[in-house]
Amino acid sequence: MSHTVLVCDDAIFMRTMISDILAQAGFEIVGEAETGSQAVEKYRQLKPDLVTMDIVMPDMGGIDAVREIVKQDPDAKILMCSAMGQQALVVEAIQAGAKDFVVKPFQPSRVLEAVQRVLG
Amino acid sequence: MDLSQYAELFLAESREHLSACNQLLLEWERTPANPAPVGGLFRAVHTVKGMAATMGYARVTDIAHRTENLLDLLRRGSRPATDELLQLLFRARDALETAVELSVVGREDELDVAEVVADLEGAAALLAGPARPTPAAAPTVEPAAASGGGRLVQVALRAEAPLKGGRALLVLKRAQGLGAVQGVTPPQAAFESDDFDGRFSFRLDSPAAAAEIERVVRGAGDVEHVSVGGEERRAAAPRAAAAAGAPPEATPEKSRHIRVDLRRLDELMDLIGELVTVRGRLNELAAARRDPAVDDVAIQISRLSADLQAGIIQARMTPVWQVFDRFPRLVRDLARELDKQVAFRVEGKEIELDRAILDELGDPLLHLLRNAVDHGIETPAERRRRGKQPEGEIVLAAVRERASVAISVSDDGRGIDRVRILERARREGLVDPHAETLSDDQLLRVLARPGFSTAEAVTSVSGRGVGIDVAMTRIRALGGSIDIRTEAGKGTSFVLRLPVTLAIVRALIAGVGRERYALPLTYVAETVEFGVQPTTIVEGREAIVLRDRVVPLVHLRRMLGVSGDAPARCPIIVLEMGERTSGIVVDGMLGQQEIVVKGFDPPQGTLPVFSGATIMGDGIPALILDAGGLV
Repeated sequence: MSHTVLVCDDAIFMRTMISDILAQAGFEIVGEAETGSQAVEKYRQLKPDLVTMDIVMPDMGGIDAVREIVKQDPDAKILMCSAMGQQALVVEAIQAGAKDFVVKPFQPSRVLEAVQRVLG
Repeated sequence: MDLSQYAELFLAESREHLSACNQLLLEWERTPANPAPVGGLFRAVHTVKGMAATMGYARVTDIAHRTENLLDLLRRGSRPATDELLQLLFRARDALETAVELSVVGREDELDVAEVVADLEGAAALLAGPARPTPAAAPTVEPAAASGGGRLVQVALRAEAPLKGGRALLVLKRAQGLGAVQGVTPPQAAFESDDFDGRFSFRLDSPAAAAEIERVVRGAGDVEHVSVGGEERRAAAPRAAAAAGAPPEATPEKSRHIRVDLRRLDELMDLIGELVTVRGRLNELAAARRDPAVDDVAIQISRLSADLQAGIIQARMTPVWQVFDRFPRLVRDLARELDKQVAFRVEGKEIELDRAILDELGDPLLHLLRNAVDHGIETPAERRRRGKQPEGEIVLAAVRERASVAISVSDDGRGIDRVRILERARREGLVDPHAETLSDDQLLRVLARPGFSTAEAVTSVSGRGVGIDVAMTRIRALGGSIDIRTEAGKGTSFVLRLPVTLAIVRALIAGVGRERYALPLTYVAETVEFGVQPTTIVEGREAIVLRDRVVPLVHLRRMLGVSGDAPARCPIIVLEMGERTSGIVVDGMLGQQEIVVKGFDPPQGTLPVFSGATIMGDGIPALILDAGGLV
């Protein structure tokens, strides 16, 4: 059975690309979220094995979403998707409970390495 | 990884975000003291930056990054926007837009962004002030005395690793899984700084073997060197973690929207078009055969293909805001440039039109809006003299009518000076030299003559002619029409009427000579019979009077130069477009049917009364008459 993934990003472009990278590696994309609050809600519904989480999103940002999700499920496996220059935010996300991070622009190999680290 | 497949998605989404930036900047400009829009601006620019970096568009990324920095400073400071800052942000947004468009077509090199980048840097430096605030440390890991117990673990991250602070924190978190972590050097607060070079050490109080510690530390990723207990070692390449995994319990819920390339919908539409054509043929055959079983199938096929067609047309429908949203900014810029005060209102944003029609509307609407600001709205001083509010109003509104959508551009400006247009039209022989007045209709015809809007018209008259001929041609090609209302001192309003969809329309099939012609029902009001209705002459044109309304006649046979005589009694198809009307005299009516509109490049010298062509049920092509060219 392949691992299930919830992809959270406010840009369809990013969601498409992450979904493509992961789907090609055999993961099953079970849901997408455009805002932090959607991510929290969908995590509760879908209980995915992995979450990819953008940091900057409208409504509720990615870091707050990580806090909420970890509150529900301390073992949640969340991979942050960050942009260059977001050092402090990434640190904050890890402190909030994110398990790893990748930095845009994404290289498929690096995304998959990070995913393996998180799931391993 | 082939990125080109994502280019269109990148373009579409970037455009959306940049359009949102415009709305937000305009909002901010209206109430500079309220910094609410800055959060949305920051997110939009940030998203564009992330996408551009992924696509490898360095210049887009660069401008976006600097714009984002500036917005971030503004966001944190919750500062009111100064006019200077807003103008800079408008410029940055425009530069981003250009950069996005050029990058996608591989012309990124043509960009010169030095100036806007320098200005953004300058503004950010001013806002940031001399001292950089140091972020407060949030200690998860106890910073203890360096001399504490446990083994000393020294780590160096790869030089090329991004966001080394985040990576270092992951190393510490993993190490905590083995035992207590103390004496982190440099202190953890340094991890949040961009200057952190990726070298750090800590003490780990753990019974684990050195090799185990090293394996765990390397498992955090991007680790170049690890030394445990003073004994430096280089471990083997990190192992790929085993992909275990429990079967997921969740029921997969797929997202409900997808993006579809418009070309795919066009292809689908073409296929349905062919299906509709074959369906017409099937109906003809079934009718000839009078076999109930065949009839039954023909009816079912008709119903199913009608549903399919309606579904595809619905999928092509796009709300007009996708084109309208760029206008508030344009009107604002133009008003600023011309020192006018304009309140711009948009109504009916959610009204939908076929994407193919909507895509063609941008330029004509732009012409009309530009004219409204430039020539319609008076200067504040002039408005005051006339007892009006100094701020003029322009309204762009979309309204759904029966089978069409009406889009109007109205201003409360000075109106068009009919007397001067009439004088000029008489002088140039465009109207009867004895004409006393110009109706709205005649006025439009005069204004829309190519070349009418000469320099004199622009300066002495209100210059309404600018681009009207261009707009008119474009709208007519879409099977639409333009009407004008104008009143001196009160304002001018242009109304564009457009069919809701282009691809398949219901049409009357009329015969003239040996040819068949299709006339879309969108503008057909009724049919009456010629030879029964008395005709009269109004303003030199043959016409009939229908319920007190004068309907000028057009004999299609004569117009098309068909030889031979028309039948003594023949149908008149009455067309209505807004206030304009016309009766088209044809030889006979051959019924109604759905036709698939095919683009059409008329040979030189073709009468300007055809908007396209279609293939009839028997496979023979017929020309589609353009209602706009006939009334």
